[in-house]
Amino acid sequence: MENSASKSINFIKTSEKAEHQATHHHKIGHKHGEGSAIDYYAYASKIRHWNPGFKVAFSFTTLLLCIGLNNPIVSIAVILGMAFLTVVKGGLPLSAYLSVLLIPLTFILLGTIAIGVDFSRQPLGQFNLYLGLGYIFTSVDKLQEMAVLMLKVFGAISAMIMMTLSTPSAEMIGVLRKAHVPKLIIELMNLIYRYIFILLDVFNNMRNSADSRQGYCDFKTSCYTFGSVASNLLVVSLKKANAYYTAMEARGYDGDLFFLEEEKPFQTSHLFIAAGFLFFLLLLWYVMK
Amino acid sequence: MREPILKVKNLHYSYGTGNPALKGVSINIYQGEKIAVIGSNGSGKSTFFLNANGVLTADHGEISYQGTVINKKNSKELRKNIGIVFQDADDQIIASTVMAEVGFGPMNLKLPREEVIRRVDEALNYMNILDFKDRPPHYLSGGEKKRVTIADIIAMKSEVIIFDEPTAALDPLNAQMLEEVLVKLGAEGKTMLISTHDVDFAYRWAERAIVFDQGRIIADGTPLEIFNNSSILEQANLKRPAMLDVFEMLVDNKLIKDTNKYPTTPEELKILLEKQFNHC
Repeated sequence: MENSASKSINFIKTSEKAEHQATHHHKIGHKHGEGSAIDYYAYASKIRHWNPGFKVAFSFTTLLLCIGLNNPIVSIAVILGMAFLTVVKGGLPLSAYLSVLLIPLTFILLGTIAIGVDFSRQPLGQFNLYLGLGYIFTSVDKLQEMAVLMLKVFGAISAMIMMTLSTPSAEMIGVLRKAHVPKLIIELMNLIYRYIFILLDVFNNMRNSADSRQGYCDFKTSCYTFGSVASNLLVVSLKKANAYYTAMEARGYDGDLFFLEEEKPFQTSHLFIAAGFLFFLLLLWYVMK
Repeated sequence: MREPILKVKNLHYSYGTGNPALKGVSINIYQGEKIAVIGSNGSGKSTFFLNANGVLTADHGEISYQGTVINKKNSKELRKNIGIVFQDADDQIIASTVMAEVGFGPMNLKLPREEVIRRVDEALNYMNILDFKDRPPHYLSGGEKKRVTIADIIAMKSEVIIFDEPTAALDPLNAQMLEEVLVKLGAEGKTMLISTHDVDFAYRWAERAIVFDQGRIIADGTPLEIFNNSSILEQANLKRPAMLDVFEMLVDNKLIKDTNKYPTTPEELKILLEKQFNHC
């Protein structure tokens, strides 16, 4: 009796530790680049329990509407709607959401500037700026076109990001499998997703151990160390691949990877709300056109 | 005499081009035995395990499981009934959620989906990690990963469970959790083989110990017999368990009577001391 009580205390302790671990990882995710942070956000999202197929279909339809209707008001509605889903429904802190959006935003800005601004020898357009060799010029029309394009791309991207930030990769792969993507690709996706984290771990360990021996003290040494770590990583990967294969075989693997996937019930209310939102977008377009 | 659950006869195995890793291993393992497999690194323990599980195929020799000789055709039987918990949890975990990971073995057994789900829940419950069900493995700590790998094998309902150095890289709390699980599995009549370098653990847990040295079994008996045999200890580079030394020193110095009942843990020694001194 006493023994079982102490055991349960043990387990409570370890589960507390697990929570601590998770928040700890969260912080690491920020430091080590957005890749693993996005993975963590998807895992922590409050709308993760929604049917993944529904989320993928909904965000794709929204994306298609956003691009197809080509209307700035619709784009704004999509941006706001997706932000609402991710931040309010999904419980992602606004700052985290904005920091994820910042990456594509940079690309959008760079890409659209090239469309809005042109270069010429003669002073053209409504606004121009002399730069010695020629003129940079633009016009209100061009700037408007640029803004509309930016909103459209941004809307499309926020629809995709809503999906990414609420659906863990494993579930996404499950959706692709159901969509009859070739089995080989599905198996590769599963394995790559799992082993990318192991690779990162091993790489971090190697880098830290090299760092602790002054392996990155100046540029030349850093280059040399980077090369050594990379080649070592390859050798270790090949060795490990063998170990993984052995472990898989030991559990009866015989050529086909089968994973158990959780069936997440499909909620009809979600379908109605999603249809309502899409209909609202169409209505906006009809009214504003 | 009862029929051994696993019978290994004159097993030889060598890796690719290298030296032979196993040079004629023969052993009978009986239902419900708790066996510690000891021996230095590279003595052939892991190779023996992989042969016993059917992943590696022996050069010579024969393995029979419950009286059936294993050949190429029925080697799946071996994998189904003999599970290995690998030393490095990251080598074993392959799926991207805990549920998919624990379900991997049962899925490979081609069980119906409902049965797989039932077994996964049961195994996760058994290891007390039901909360981690849909967590990806890279958000688990080392001890939690170890529990997942044990749940992997429990979900396959293997009769024989092999643990390859399970206590390596575990903190004391998790090592204690592991021992509790081992005791629980033992009480359910599972046959277990555990390779370990921890002689104290082998001494207190095992009913039988096998010593590997350079691809051969050099000793097979109760842990007490083995740890009292100095020539074997020397040959296999083994230390004696601390409790055994302590007990013999106490007996040699006539501090306690030799009852031939060797305590294996401090608690047992305490009980023994209390018994002897309260009654005398």
